[in-house]
Amino acid sequence: MGRYKKVWIGLVFFLITGWGLVSETVAGSRVQIVGSTTVLPVASRSAQKFMASSKVRILVNAGGSGVGIHSVAQGRADIGMASRGISPDEKKRFKKSRLKTHSVGLDAVACVVSTEIYQAGVRHLTPTQIAGIYMGKIRNWKEVGGPDRQIVVIDKERHRGTRHAFMQYVFGNATQRTPGTLLVTGSNNEEQAKIAQSDSAIGMLSFAWINEDVKAVSLGSKGKEFLPTWEAVRQGRYPIVRKLNFVTAGEPEGEVKAFIDFVKGSEGQKIVAESGYIPVDDEIFQP
Amino acid sequence: MKVARGNDFRSGLSGIRSLDPAGWVFAAMNLVFLVCAVGLGGFLLVESVPVVRSEGLGFWLGENWWVGETFGALSMICGSLIVTGLAVSLVLPVALSGALFTSEYLAPSLRRRVKGVMELLAGVPGIIYGLLGVSFLTVGIKDVLNLLDGNTLFTAGCLLAIMILPTVLTLAEDALHSVPAEFREAAQGLGLTKLQTAWRVVLPQSLPGIAGAVLLGVGRAMGETIAVMLVIGSLDKVPGFNIFVAGQTIPSKLGREAAQALGSEQHWSALMGLGLTLFLMVAAFTFLGNIFIKRSSR
Amino acid sequence: MVEKAVLAFIGAITFLIVLLLVFILGTLLVKGLPAFHAGFLFEESRDFGLSGGIFYQAVGTLILMVTAVLWSLPVALGSVLFQTEYLSGKFKTFLTQLTYILNATPTILFGLVGYLFFGVYLGVSWVTGSLILAVMILPTLQVSIREAVEALPEKYREAGMALGLSRSSQIRRIILPQCFYGIVTGVLLGLARAAGETAAIMFTATTFSGIQLPQSFSDPVPTLQTHILVLAQEAANPQSLAQAWGAGLVLLGLVLMLTLTAWAFRTRVVMESEQ
Repeated sequence: MGRYKKVWIGLVFFLITGWGLVSETVAGSRVQIVGSTTVLPVASRSAQKFMASSKVRILVNAGGSGVGIHSVAQGRADIGMASRGISPDEKKRFKKSRLKTHSVGLDAVACVVSTEIYQAGVRHLTPTQIAGIYMGKIRNWKEVGGPDRQIVVIDKERHRGTRHAFMQYVFGNATQRTPGTLLVTGSNNEEQAKIAQSDSAIGMLSFAWINEDVKAVSLGSKGKEFLPTWEAVRQGRYPIVRKLNFVTAGEPEGEVKAFIDFVKGSEGQKIVAESGYIPVDDEIFQP
Repeated sequence: MKVARGNDFRSGLSGIRSLDPAGWVFAAMNLVFLVCAVGLGGFLLVESVPVVRSEGLGFWLGENWWVGETFGALSMICGSLIVTGLAVSLVLPVALSGALFTSEYLAPSLRRRVKGVMELLAGVPGIIYGLLGVSFLTVGIKDVLNLLDGNTLFTAGCLLAIMILPTVLTLAEDALHSVPAEFREAAQGLGLTKLQTAWRVVLPQSLPGIAGAVLLGVGRAMGETIAVMLVIGSLDKVPGFNIFVAGQTIPSKLGREAAQALGSEQHWSALMGLGLTLFLMVAAFTFLGNIFIKRSSR
Repeated sequence: MVEKAVLAFIGAITFLIVLLLVFILGTLLVKGLPAFHAGFLFEESRDFGLSGGIFYQAVGTLILMVTAVLWSLPVALGSVLFQTEYLSGKFKTFLTQLTYILNATPTILFGLVGYLFFGVYLGVSWVTGSLILAVMILPTLQVSIREAVEALPEKYREAGMALGLSRSSQIRRIILPQCFYGIVTGVLLGLARAAGETAAIMFTATTFSGIQLPQSFSDPVPTLQTHILVLAQEAANPQSLAQAWGAGLVLLGLVLMLTLTAWAFRTRVVMESEQ
């Protein structure tokens, strides 16, 4: 058993030290944050800054708003990131967790199209037009003033906060089913990449993700169209604005509270602005 | 001191010999292995019960997958079958050609090199293929075939074909090469050329082994998650006959939603149900494949 | 004439297939090397992976694969020895079949069931990940070890019997040392397989940001594989793609190195059994 003994002894030793480490360090030194990819840059960058002057480790994971809220409610995360509010259905399901929402910023959701479409003249879309596109009734860009090209309708996974806000505006139903969808994406990054790679796509994105390859169309009824800009949001004129939230189960305490206060404070809000969103104190509109 | 093992042992079905202390340790290790292997299938089965109870047969026949409302796996099952079928039809002629050439025409040293290259290729991680897929294949297919978008079932099928090519080729080559020399000598004695020998004698003889190779390739293609997830478009819809649209396979669905479903009873059960379906499909193909390969090596 | 044409055709196809490896390697090199600024291997990643290096990701991958083999080796060794030395008949065949089935199982399923088995208790952590990977590479190790054990010429066992050794002594003094190279081959192949695995660990062992080196058993780790996955989803951004290629090059290099070393050992196994 000579060779075996060594292996076994090694393993046992390994396990013992391991569990020792676990019990020592696991208590209170970790903050787990999960959720929306819209809020993720804010959380991640703030965490980096926060950790520079604190012994806490802050782990950030993506997954989407739904996953964030879910994880917090079930105790698998300390903070859930959500780019939407808690839905009535979620409130009912997680009543026991006493979920609390802490707003850390504002974001506008843009309806974006491929640059080629934008340059070909599609600068504005009404909710009716967008609804038609996503339901599959309008299939060609020329039906809405664009070139003669089939529309690549890009959708997001159903639980994503960005989608909730977008669908609420277009259909009045945050979880609308859209048979016209051609492609489904997950995170904001992925959606942006797919829209940029296509030359006739439409999609929904947080306005912080707009760049030269994806362009936002203005939204609103005739005569009152607005592009998603800071001014339009502040003046309450842009129709799809949402709060970026940290969600906790009950009142936050200790390190969690410290971090949330940090993000809501001046340093954190600076990071919010640098990430392309709007600081939460700037709000003037009524949600 | 116990007597060392001999060849006169007979113990019927179970075939277990008496155990010395070391033997108990080994038996324990074997038990761990057994638990892992059986536990995998067992857990899938047990965890699938809730969703099957609430959806019934509709779980496999329903097209709609709306989390929280209804779970229908038909789109994923169709997607898996279509993508795998596509991969196999693309791979078969290419792999067979390569196997034939390597087995019948290459000098032993070259043959070893080619097989070595194939084994290396077979070990390339799926994420690398995924990376190649999103940067070349999707854009390339979109441009060459003038499609609306390059994230389609067809793209996934092509990528999988490239992935399973090395495995299928090397196994098929084994099957061809293991045909005894007498067959070739007899054929050439009858006046057949080398190509005719290969085509009419060696190939038919090695069909079971080749079938086995293909089935194993099928198993691998059906189970690939990452590469498919990145290029398939993630659309839960039964595709009909048009394979140039986005779709979904079972593994890519699992990959996309696993993180979401953690802790959610019904959703998790639905994913396990998908997993069980996949497991059974792959197990069936792999089992068949192994039988064929064994049969060919006798 | 037709014969020559067909020959040329399938010869060309074979050549192109081999070229595939060259293409894959070449692409990774051409696209990946630019990302290799001075500190790529040893810097941490910055800006969500858009700049900086991959040090902690590489370490994470190494941690996962090494501990996976650590868990897996004793089980693989013990179970194979049990099957070859103490079993025969239908039970043995059944267990061999199980190995094949486990080997062919889609890896995402290991992640799913592994979460239930380990993750619920140990959380999303590197321990969970390494345990899951351990189960996944078990068949790989078993196949190599079994090959080596079964290739051992009977004369060794006969010599042991003639000397009157007990079975465990036989195993310890004769079989194991002779199969050493086979075991090493299995370990290296297992390491290579664990290194490349993404699906089983992406929701059971990793985190997007916040962890550099795990400080306890219940910490997640960053890995090369998931790092590439996140970057690959931003395919339109040339910078993130460049970083992805660089990380991919490192990962592929690691896998190839392990596989080639395994071959070197396997040749020695063959040589031993031919004596």
